[in-house]
Amino acid sequence: MAAAALCWALRAARQVLPSPCPRQVRSYYVDWRMLRDVKRRKMAYELADERLRINAIRKNSILPKELQEVADKEIAALPRDSCPVRIRNRCVLTSRPRGVKRRWRLSRIVFRHFADHAQMSGVQRAMW
Amino acid sequence: KDKSAASKDSTPEGAAKRQEDGAETPKQQLLDIIGNMKVEVSYRKKLQQLKASESKKQALNKLEGPDSEGSVPQGTTEDTQRGKPLNPELVKAASAVAASLPRNKKQTESELLAQLRRHEETTDKQKKGGTINIRNVISEMTVKRQSPAERGARISGRISLQLDEDGRRIRPERSSAQSVDSRRSLKVGKRLNIFTKASTEPEHALKTVSSPTIWDLEFAKEVAAVTAQPPRNGFEEMIQWTKEGILWEFPIDNEVGMEDDAEFHEHIFLEKHLRAFPKQGPIRHFMELVICGLSKNPYLSVKQKVEHIEWFQKYFEEKKELLQEI
Repeated sequence: MAAAALCWALRAARQVLPSPCPRQVRSYYVDWRMLRDVKRRKMAYELADERLRINAIRKNSILPKELQEVADKEIAALPRDSCPVRIRNRCVLTSRPRGVKRRWRLSRIVFRHFADHAQMSGVQRAMW
Repeated sequence: KDKSAASKDSTPEGAAKRQEDGAETPKQQLLDIIGNMKVEVSYRKKLQQLKASESKKQALNKLEGPDSEGSVPQGTTEDTQRGKPLNPELVKAASAVAASLPRNKKQTESELLAQLRRHEETTDKQKKGGTINIRNVISEMTVKRQSPAERGARISGRISLQLDEDGRRIRPERSSAQSVDSRRSLKVGKRLNIFTKASTEPEHALKTVSSPTIWDLEFAKEVAAVTAQPPRNGFEEMIQWTKEGILWEFPIDNEVGMEDDAEFHEHIFLEKHLRAFPKQGPIRHFMELVICGLSKNPYLSVKQKVEHIEWFQKYFEEKKELLQEI
């Protein structure tokens, strides 16, 4: 989802002027939960590395404990949405939090709908 | 001659017998022969049989005498009046056939003779005029040998011109190459670079202007906006998407975004980045562990690994006072 959001932002940034035929652009997210997930992804993209490094200092038996306590305070000061663990792989079309296949980023119901209408390339009903 | 004719018809045998008898007139004998002859559709067979009967008749005539000659010269005089001298045997045969047929004898005779004449004329034409025409044609062909091949090449070139709508500028080069020979056109011409990566060739046209002005850019944008028509079909739509970056380029290149030019040793041997760190102490120990982990990481690029180490360097420099207290 972070990648999709990034791509979307990049596309909007470098506006290609010679494109007279307007395409459908998704201006709204499916629901607020999806919006919050998008925010979390954006923030995690920025701060996840720092979080990882600070954690590496914290979860350590070599470095002195004082340093690790300082690191604890630092990581607590970071915004909560910056941690990557808070990201939920929701369905891209319906924002369903559960039953989402990672490869297609779709919930099982949507996947089944598209596959039955032969709109999923290379997906076939299993029979053996 | 009599014996050769005997193989074709059974009647000559009877005629031979009658010949020996000599009781009937030769004309009657001939009529008997013709009457016994089968009425055939093909004219050639008719002629052959007529010839055979004529040979028999000639033999009869030689044996009998001038009695039969009276009826024959009438036909010959008529023919000679027409100009072209026909075979006298054929003429005699035609007259005999006409006599045998039940209809108006003179009319049939004239028709048969006319047919004979036509036949003769066509055969003469084929014999004399045919060779000359062929010679002319051959001589002409030797002079203009390349034209049909050229025409074919041009036609095929035109067909390829019409199909090339992608905008690939291969048209002028290909048409000139194809016009010479089909063998050479395989390796001549610009490469399409479908299956091999396009090697970055030095462009011929060197840009004299160093940096295009803003006005030039705006003008270019305006022109592109005006000329850009909405796609007429799915293919043009896909082309547009590929230019924008929505659609991948086929054949799919798995390493499109990645351009890691670094060698393996740059990934693994990262000790050179640790020069800023103190050589003794727990920090060094910690950083060596960090480097060990990074060297085993295949997902990060060299740049990212260097950034990682630099971040730690910065962090520890900020905490120097704290560390010195300890």
